[in-house]
Formats: sequence, C-alpha cells, structure tokens
Amino acid sequence: MTATATATATAPVPAPAPVPKTKSRSHPRARLRRQRWKGLWRTAVVVVIGLLVNLPFLNAICTAFRQDGDIATSPFSFANGLTLSHFATVLSGSGYDFPRFLLNSAAIAFGTVVLVMLIAIPVSYSIVRLNFGGRWLLQSVTALRLIPAMFFAIPFFLMFSNAGLYDTVPALILANTFLNLPLAILIICGSINEVPIEIEEAATIDGAGVYRSLFSIVLPLLAPGLVAVAILVFLFSWSDYLFAVILSGSESTPVTVGAAFFVTSAGIAWGNVSAVVVVSVVIPLVFAIFAQKYLVRGLSAGALK
Amino acid sequence: MAAQFHRSGTRGARWILSAPLLVFLLLVVAYAAFSGIETSFQDRTLLNPEPSFTGFANYATVLNDSTFWSSLGFTVFYTVAVTVVELLLGFGLALLFDRGFPGKRWLLSVIIIPIMVAPSLMGIMFRLILNDNIGTIPAVFKAIGSDISLFSGSNVIPLVVALDLVQWTPFTFLLLYSALQSVPQELYEAASIDRAGYWRVVKSIIVPLIVPTLVITGFLRAIDAFRTFDTIYILTGGGPGTKTTTLSIYIYKVLSGGNFGVASAAAVIVALITLPLVPLVVGRITRGALANL
Repeated sequence: MTATATATATAPVPAPAPVPKTKSRSHPRARLRRQRWKGLWRTAVVVVIGLLVNLPFLNAICTAFRQDGDIATSPFSFANGLTLSHFATVLSGSGYDFPRFLLNSAAIAFGTVVLVMLIAIPVSYSIVRLNFGGRWLLQSVTALRLIPAMFFAIPFFLMFSNAGLYDTVPALILANTFLNLPLAILIICGSINEVPIEIEEAATIDGAGVYRSLFSIVLPLLAPGLVAVAILVFLFSWSDYLFAVILSGSESTPVTVGAAFFVTSAGIAWGNVSAVVVVSVVIPLVFAIFAQKYLVRGLSAGALK
Repeated sequence: MAAQFHRSGTRGARWILSAPLLVFLLLVVAYAAFSGIETSFQDRTLLNPEPSFTGFANYATVLNDSTFWSSLGFTVFYTVAVTVVELLLGFGLALLFDRGFPGKRWLLSVIIIPIMVAPSLMGIMFRLILNDNIGTIPAVFKAIGSDISLFSGSNVIPLVVALDLVQWTPFTFLLLYSALQSVPQELYEAASIDRAGYWRVVKSIIVPLIVPTLVITGFLRAIDAFRTFDTIYILTGGGPGTKTTTLSIYIYKVLSGGNFGVASAAAVIVALITLPLVPLVVGRITRGALANL
C-alpha cells in the first residue's frame, strides 16, 4: 500500500501531451463565412416576431405620415404621398393643447426623477452601510409596489383635493414618486452593495465622515446605476395613466391621458391621433434605448411599470 | 455584516439619511393607507363630504354586486391565461436567442420596444389598427374573405388576451433570456459530449436551472396582469356589457360614479386578494440588494 502510494507520488510527471492541431479541413475564410451565416433561420424567425410585436407601433407611424384621404380609403394606400401635416397640427396645439400635455408629462417625469433620487440615495446608503432598518425596511418598501395602485389612488384623490393639490403637477409627482421609490431603492441598494467596502474604510481611516464618504466616494462610483434608475423612473412616470386619470382634470393632464382625448372626441381624426401617439411614445423611447443594458436589471429587480 | 460600519457617530447619520423616506412614508403613504381603509367604512360620496361610519355596509354592497364577481372571474381568467402563455412564448423566444445569429444584438432591442411603450398609448394604437373602417387588421380579414367582428361578445376576451401577449411577451422573454445567459456554457458542452439531444438538454438542464426565474417572472407578470387597467379600459371601456371589466376598471367605474366609500371597500378587498403573493415575491426580488445584510 505504502509502496504504491509513494511510487505514485514520486512518479515522474508525464511530459505534456502535444497540443492537438485544430481540424482545418476547409479554408479559414470559408469557415468564417459559414459561421457568419450560421443561425440565419433564427434571424428570420426573430425578424417576424419583432415585426409582430411592433405592428401596432409601425401601423401608427405609417398612419401618422399619410394623408387623411389615404387613411380613409385603405390602410395600405399611399396614393397621395407622405405628409408632416398631422404632426404640425397637433404640435401647434389646435384642438387639444397637446404641447401642454407634453410639457406636463416632462415636468411630472423630471420632477419624479429628482424627488425619487433625493429620497432613495441617502436611505439606500443608510440601509446598506449603516444597517438602518435592515431587511425589514427594504422589504416593506418593496411590498408597497406590489399592492394594487388603485388602493392608493382613491385616498390620494381625497388627500390632494383637501390639500388643494388636485389637478396640479406636484400631486402627480408625489403619486409617481410613491410608484417608483421601491424600484429605485432596490437598484441603488444593489449598486451600493457592489462598491468594495475597503474604499470607504480607507476613507474613514483618512478621517472622512459618513457624509463625506457618501458624497465624495460612493456617489461617483454609483453614477452608472443612478443614470439607469433615472431613465427607468422617467420612463415609468411618463407611462403612468391610472394616477393621471384620477388626479388630473384639465391643468396637469399628461400625454397618456391627453392622447385619449383625441380618440374619444367626435369624428376621430386618426392622422392626428397617430401623430400624438407617435410623438408621445418616441420621446421616452429615445431615453430608454440608451439605458437598454440596465433595463433587464431594473425590470427584474423591481416590480415593473 | 462585514459590509457595515460600526463606528461612532453614525447613529445620527443613519436617521438623517433616512429622514426623507420616513417623512414621505409617514405623510403620504401611511396617511393614504389609513385614509383609504377609513373611507371604506364610511358612506362617503362626492355629494356627501361629511361622511359617517357605516361599518361593513360598503363591503356588503361590493360582495352583493354581481358585477364585482364577474370582474373577479374575468380578472382571474385573464391573469392566468396571459401569465401562462407569456411564460411559454417568452421561454421559446429566449431559447431562440440563446445561440448566436446574425443581427442578434440589434433584434434584441427591437423585440423589447413594446415594454417601453406606455400601456395607455398602446391601447390607442390597438384601437387604430383594429378600427373597423380604417384599421389594418380588419382590412386583412376582409381581404381573405373573413367577416369577423373582433369586438363582439364572443371574440373580445381572446382579443384582449392576444393583445396583452403582444405587449408583454417581450417582458417575460427579457427576464428569461437574461437567466439563460447565466447558465454555464460547460453544461451544454458536457451534454453534447454525452450526445444528449437538444430537447433533452432543454428539459433536463435548462428548465431545472431557470425554474426560480420562471417562478419570479410569472409572479411579476401575474401581479401586473391582475391590476390591468389602462389598455383594456381605453380599448373596450370594460365592455361589451361588463365582459372585459377587470377589477381595476370596476373600482374606477364605482369611483367615477362618485361613490368613494364603496370604491375604497372594493380596493381593500382587491388588495387583500393580492396580499398572500406579496411575501413570496418580496423575499425573492430583494435578495440581490440585501446580499450583505
């Protein structure tokens, strides 16, 4: 036993086997070409699915650029060529004041981003690094997001009416802050968790206090995550309809509610409706496309919308 | 534990840094929750601004309303239908994306566009494309000689389910695809050495590994589907009759009628129905953020 074990242990290390030559039956360039076209059937299937899920949007874009006569004739008629007149009409504010809806949406979305950041950044640092409230606080804030928003919409209506905030932009900023705080706090807590604690420990040894650590050291490192949160919060508060329809009358109407005005009016001008919808969708989309790589994380970390 | 400071002088800081959230929770959220529950026990209406306590009368009104029960039935059916189908389609699409193919990165961006469209605006776009006179879909149906009425009583429920698939399959796909990407490549290689067929690999390796993601994606989707409001309300207004009235539309209609007490009672009931799911989901989605606590 001992002899064999020793023998095994002292056995000379076998010389490394020669690296097998890679099979090269075809010319490398031909192989590359074949690789490039590999999985082309997947491309075909995915293109079809991509068209299918974006069909309503593509259809709205087409309608927005077509003449009224063509729209009335057939969904496929481009006989009179393309026009920008629908965009000109709605952006000049004839009929409903669409430019104002756009400004309201922008004010609500930007205001919500700012308020959410002011609340979420310090408390996330406090939760993760100073152990404030531990799991309990973060979990209860997350739970808020899962309760149907309708439950809060009614008391919000009563509260804001009493406070004279009904039909104002601040009321919608507060409501959307409520909607988006859980998501923001979750993502920011996750990002702070990823910052190596040693950096802050070193800063503490050098005499930096809590606030100095947070603002001068942690905050700059969080920048990419904070940009992602800002874009997601912007997107979701731009998309809100439930709170907007309950908390706005005529003054603070955002595009989600205002766009529907164009539909319910008598004798729907579909070209104008399409222009309204396309403009309203494209603005947040531009922001979101840039934040795409953060979208997965944001969506899976928070309860979406 | 290692990730926290236990040094002097942080006791005050943790309260100061948390103060904005605590103030917001107290002044807005807690007050609203209290006021919502209080209203559900009052005869408060638009015309009765000085309400009195009426006990469970509003709850009785809701529970005796046949529309509430039909809304609950439709909402449960809708939630289960869209969640199951979207998980299946999203998983299929994720498998499709789990290999390299030309244009993959670009097509991923295209596929997830619907997630970023406000549901209410999506509802308007659906109305446009489904409109009997000028819509593309009815025109296609007419061209192939089918005289189908999409919004009729017998077609409207499959229609709203199908439309939900259009907007939210990209969501289930995105979450499932990101889970697939974390499956170690070596597992596929080991399986191919064992000469396991593709579907065998999917069944025995991929599915067991992503079950947790399937569950959480299903929960997230179900919670959102259960409170669906925007798209269906804009598309059908809950009709014809009350066929597509979700619980959220039901509450909104009671609220629009000025009956705050009854609407609040219905909202409390709906919140209570969702409550059992909350701890399950919360535990799962806070895990990453709480890694060191």
